Amino acid sequence: MPNPDLNSRNWQTSAVSIVTPDPAARPQARSLAWQIVRDLGRVAILAIVSLAAGLVINRSSVHPLPIVYQSPEQRFDAELTTLVAAPPFKIAPAATVGLDRFRSAVESKSALILDARPSLFFEQGHVPGALNLARDDFAHDYRDLAGVLQAATDKPIIVYCSGGECHDSRLVANALLSLGFGNVSVFTGGWDAWSAAGLPASKGSVR
Amino acid sequence: MMPNDNSRRNYAVLAVSIAVAAVFIYAGIGKIREPLQFADSTAAFAILPAVFINLFVMGLPPFEFACGGLLLVPPTRRVGALAVAVVSLMFFTALASALLRGLTLDCGCFGVGAPSRSRMWIELAVDIALFSGALFVYLRSITRLPAQAP
Repeated sequence: MPNPDLNSRNWQTSAVSIVTPDPAARPQARSLAWQIVRDLGRVAILAIVSLAAGLVINRSSVHPLPIVYQSPEQRFDAELTTLVAAPPFKIAPAATVGLDRFRSAVESKSALILDARPSLFFEQGHVPGALNLARDDFAHDYRDLAGVLQAATDKPIIVYCSGGECHDSRLVANALLSLGFGNVSVFTGGWDAWSAAGLPASKGSVR
Repeated sequence: MMPNDNSRRNYAVLAVSIAVAAVFIYAGIGKIREPLQFADSTAAFAILPAVFINLFVMGLPPFEFACGGLLLVPPTRRVGALAVAVVSLMFFTALASALLRGLTLDCGCFGVGAPSRSRMWIELAVDIALFSGALFVYLRSITRLPAQAP
């Protein structure tokens, strides 16, 4: 027996309403898209205003950034030229030492240990007996430590930084070589290798 | 039933807005305190040319403060949420590209830190969370607007 509803007008109208899109939906979607575009425009204006505010804040800060970025190496070269008029930058890179040799030098105090990391990290933890000669503030720190460094010219100097891919220790070691220190090497494992080995650490600032 | 659901969603929008705003304001403070280190972190991504790095470093903290502020005020919440979504997507893309290129770096997202790949993954997850939260707030705000002709 056929279903009488299949031939009814009600069924046909409801089927049409499912297939045909709601005519009111298209302007609404267009309105939403237009609103998103306008909001993106407002975000762009916000970015421009923020940049202007950032330039003003930078200009009024104690150590303003230059408009064009300078790499750590470029900044370091500029720092070095405040210590020596014409530093011999083209020198052989400093030698390297492993953890065992570094550890024995620290324990026997046979070498001057220098930490090339920023003072913030040095204060959080460093190798016992190490002095902070940060790459970031090299000229300032070097002047502070000049007395200690000159008094220890007969001792080897070992420089370390964070370890792994850090290159602050190499920059500082090469700078010391160019400043006339003869026996300078780099502990490549750095603070990471020292702390991973569970070796003792000191905290706070030591100059 | 409907009013309860609606007010629950409104509370959710408010809670997400406050959380995202707090993260952005905190991130802005971290960056403005150490601009030089943040510039080095930005350069380590090897995406922006040198001429744009410091401009980005100067402009981003005020932008993050503005996003946080706009999110906290209901009439401006929509624009703040879209700004957060856009910038989180940008951070996500930069971090994901650095991870894919095998770089180990400190993203400088919340101030100075040591370079670490595990931290990069955590920060990638934070970016996804921020993007999702901001998108939720934006979509909730925009769908409640009265329809307007272009």
